Amino acid sequence: MALYVYAITGKDHPLAVGDVTGVGADPSPVRALACGPLYAVVSDVSEEIRPKRRDLLIHQEVQERLMEGGPVLPLQFGYTAVDEEVVEQALRKDAEGYLANLERLDGCAEYHVRASRNEEELLRQILRETPETRELNDRIRAGDPDPQLPLTLGRAVAAQVQERQDALAAGLTDALVPYAREHDVRPASGDDFLNLSLLVPDDRREEFLTAHAGLVRQLGDGVEFRLSGPLPPYSFVR
Amino acid sequence: MTMVPQGGGSAVGRGGGSSGTLYDVLELILDRGLVIDVFVRVSLVGIEILKIDARIVVASVDTYLRFAEACNRLDLESGRKAPAQLPEVVGGMMEGGAHGKSKGALSGAVDAVTESLTGKSRGDEEPDEEEEAEEEPAPRRRRPPARRAARREKE
Repeated sequence: MALYVYAITGKDHPLAVGDVTGVGADPSPVRALACGPLYAVVSDVSEEIRPKRRDLLIHQEVQERLMEGGPVLPLQFGYTAVDEEVVEQALRKDAEGYLANLERLDGCAEYHVRASRNEEELLRQILRETPETRELNDRIRAGDPDPQLPLTLGRAVAAQVQERQDALAAGLTDALVPYAREHDVRPASGDDFLNLSLLVPDDRREEFLTAHAGLVRQLGDGVEFRLSGPLPPYSFVR
Repeated sequence: MTMVPQGGGSAVGRGGGSSGTLYDVLELILDRGLVIDVFVRVSLVGIEILKIDARIVVASVDTYLRFAEACNRLDLESGRKAPAQLPEVVGGMMEGGAHGKSKGALSGAVDAVTESLTGKSRGDEEPDEEEEAEEEPAPRRRRPPARRAARREKE
């Protein structure tokens, strides 16, 4: 029977996942498979899985419950093995590496920060502070029919947006990174300009949250922050 | 850490005091995490599309024109009270932070993707999860220029 694999933990992990049932259309209980010095946390699945939103939530929930009992290496969503033998072999083969990873991540959790800016505020600020864009904008609004004007204005504004977003993202990153053992910056998507993951040791969590709250206050309505965590260290497993 | 082991997970659902949502951690769940190469990934049809939202660059004529239009329609006199500055930390530009995204202009794609995630369009069979979906970004997206313009013309 195929297995869905959620995570790897050390052999000393209490594995208290409670009564969570696993992913799939016909879910089985989540259980642990001993593999040398490690456990693989798995559930049986039929060969055909068509993942749904519920499966994502379960994958995440299993990680969160495991986190309570000790360090965990969360797998990326959606990985299955054909049978127990394959799982055992894979874990035994890289046992040293997984153990080192678990040790590295012990006592830490991931926090994920995203931020977006109020676009109108940002554009207003750009027009206020850059005479070039202000002038172009005034000419267009006054009815200047030159078809190049909007393009020139848009290009200048886009460059300013980029520059300001990058600078703010770098500033925010600098402000939060001191509370983290490791961090990971990724390209932001959608309206966001910041996509930052931080590996925060438990004993610095309060400081980190205080610092984050301070930034939120300081930046006010112009910036919307979204903080997720504590999360399993998805961004920091190797 | 306060865990409430019921329903759809805590940090994802409404992690105590944080505003994180499934949408925000989706990229972590789908794209990060440990990969073991002898394992097989299930088909992510229907979920895979969520990943397309990222890589769209700001440098396009459409984006320029949209920015220009948004500026033209902007009410320049309002909103002076909220300077989004971070005086003591805004230093130069460093390490590749947020790259290439325009705002608003991309929202359509992201919304579509969000919808497909939250399953709203598919009539998800689990209504209790829908509540969480409601917090997700679609309503947050800002498309104000048109509204602004309309107001300005009346003035």
